[in-house]
Amino acid sequence: MLKIVNGVLVLMVLVSGSILYAMEHKTRGLEREIRTTTAEIDALEEDIKLLNAEWSSLTRPERIQLLATRHLQMAPAEARQFTSLEELSARIAEVRGKMQEKPPTDAIGELMKKMQ
Amino acid sequence: MTDTHLPNATAKLPGQHRIRLLGLGFSGVFLAIALKLAFTSVIAPLSEEAKTIAEAVQRIPRPDIVDRNGNVLATDVAVASLYADPRKILDLEEAVELITGVLPDVDAKELDKKFRQPGRAFVWLKRQVSPEERDAVFDLGIPGVAYVNERKRVYPQGRLAAHTVGYVDVDTKGIAGIERYLDTEGAMYTASLIEPERGNTAPAELALDIRVQHALTDEVQQAITKFKAIGGGGIVLNIETGEIVALVSLPDFNPNAEDKNIGKDQQNRMLSGVYELGSVVKAVTFAMAFDNGTITMNSKYDARYALVIGNARINDFHAQRRVLTVPEIFTNSSNIGTAKMALDVGIEKHQAFLEKVGLLDKLLTEVPETARPILPKKWGRLVSATAAFGHGFAVQPLQGLAVVAGILNGGKMAQPTFLKRSKEEADVLAKDIVKAKTSQYMRELFRLNALEGSAGKADVIGYRVGGKTGTAEKVVRGRYSKDHRLASFIGAFPMDKPQYAILIMLDEPKPLPETYGFATSGWNAVPTAGKVIARIAPLLGIEPVLTAADREKIAKLAKAKTKI
Repeated sequence: MLKIVNGVLVLMVLVSGSILYAMEHKTRGLEREIRTTTAEIDALEEDIKLLNAEWSSLTRPERIQLLATRHLQMAPAEARQFTSLEELSARIAEVRGKMQEKPPTDAIGELMKKMQ
Repeated sequence: MTDTHLPNATAKLPGQHRIRLLGLGFSGVFLAIALKLAFTSVIAPLSEEAKTIAEAVQRIPRPDIVDRNGNVLATDVAVASLYADPRKILDLEEAVELITGVLPDVDAKELDKKFRQPGRAFVWLKRQVSPEERDAVFDLGIPGVAYVNERKRVYPQGRLAAHTVGYVDVDTKGIAGIERYLDTEGAMYTASLIEPERGNTAPAELALDIRVQHALTDEVQQAITKFKAIGGGGIVLNIETGEIVALVSLPDFNPNAEDKNIGKDQQNRMLSGVYELGSVVKAVTFAMAFDNGTITMNSKYDARYALVIGNARINDFHAQRRVLTVPEIFTNSSNIGTAKMALDVGIEKHQAFLEKVGLLDKLLTEVPETARPILPKKWGRLVSATAAFGHGFAVQPLQGLAVVAGILNGGKMAQPTFLKRSKEEADVLAKDIVKAKTSQYMRELFRLNALEGSAGKADVIGYRVGGKTGTAEKVVRGRYSKDHRLASFIGAFPMDKPQYAILIMLDEPKPLPETYGFATSGWNAVPTAGKVIARIAPLLGIEPVLTAADREKIAKLAKAKTKI
């Protein structure tokens, strides 16, 4: 009886030992993974900071102005380019009148007909 | 089979009690360990918060500095510094050749000499290299070559807003500007930015808008070049919140340079310089007189003769030699009229008013480089009369602008700040300096001066600009000099409900043929302000309103263009 109990106990010791060992092994693996991931995160965060700084340096208004004057024909918006909704409402009737003169055109619809 | 080893199991063995006691003791201790284990791992594990605080304490990064739209103005980057241990290098000659191949700016001869010094265990190859350089050297695979990471503060926007942002020393300790504020008076603010749960620091948000800052810098720089001025500056201030949206002082400096070479010329003229602002101060005198009820819009002052006090004579620059109404005194910038106005209010009240609006004290903002005003030692009739038109006392330009902004903001003066702030926060600190009615009169006078007075060249079509000009003679060798002038303009827009105040200052602008030999503010500072407003008003979201007269003007301009 006692031998069976002992045998079971020894078996349990072996089993629990191996489980414990396996778990410890796994934990170590996970810990290593955490360490490498944290290091990766740190490195990525550093990269992000560097890229942010670079982005900020590349988008500084001085440089944008230089590029814009060289490659684009743009100018600051002037007051005359703005209009208010009230002014628009006065012209809606005018525009509507023009629209009724011509039958509405459906450019995309015609294109689709051609394709068929 | 069971009882072979213990023939008499039931019989009492000697020392059995002791064994039982021992067993009991062991099981007690094991139980305690098991309980403790269960407690710490299952029942009450170490809380997340406690863990992260422990981490955060280890490394608190310096906060980045960003503008109001999140554009980075200052940040920390990790830079590698490469070093070598010559004792571990197998072939010194080859190593020198390889390293100088990748790092062309390293002197081969010198490096070779350093490597060959007997007993040397540490040689810097190059400090603060780019990541590409670091990888390139590392890929050479030379044993004994390694790098350490160092932190470096960089200013990606370069010179832009350098005076406001400031800079740090080699140990990233703030030396000037907001950088210094973060380490000194603003330490509490800096601490509030730390986010312990992330082990991180939120950026310090400035009120600055880099787009406006650039437009202002660009235009002031162009004006300095055009009028051959020795320096200049400008400020754009949000009237309601007191936020400084842009602040420029030229010449400036590069905060990224190792040797910043900051001389007297590079100081921040808007804060650490004090200037006699001249006629722009008249706005303060007018507000005071309105507020005291000694003048109305219809009051008249005799400006036919020079005002004589003791043996001093006060004269007008654009002498009209007639009786002037209050609006005429403002648009003609009459010294005589303004001085008489101040004398009518009285010396004590004049002094008390300047004290109330804060012109007699040092204005404190987050940027520590600020100067105390230079004031007359004794206040008499003459001092009061000259102070009325801005002579005899010198203040920071920002201070002058803040007061005018307060006068135009319904009498409510917001405390100027470099940090982003809401209107509610500003209102708590704001102080009432004049009555709402006074503010209304002042708005009318400012607008009138842009429509038919000296500030006409700043009137950008559609944006209802108002302003006051000032040309002060600088004191050279103890005397006012006719050839050394300080031209300034203080204005605001849109005048029906002012939202932004602007100041432009040019130090010693020279007369040009196209300004008909004039070097007064109306010919240099005012048109500069106009150009700035035309560029920034659309950026700041000011809605343009066109009157019939404006439309005529636009049509005329368009016609003139097509003719050319």
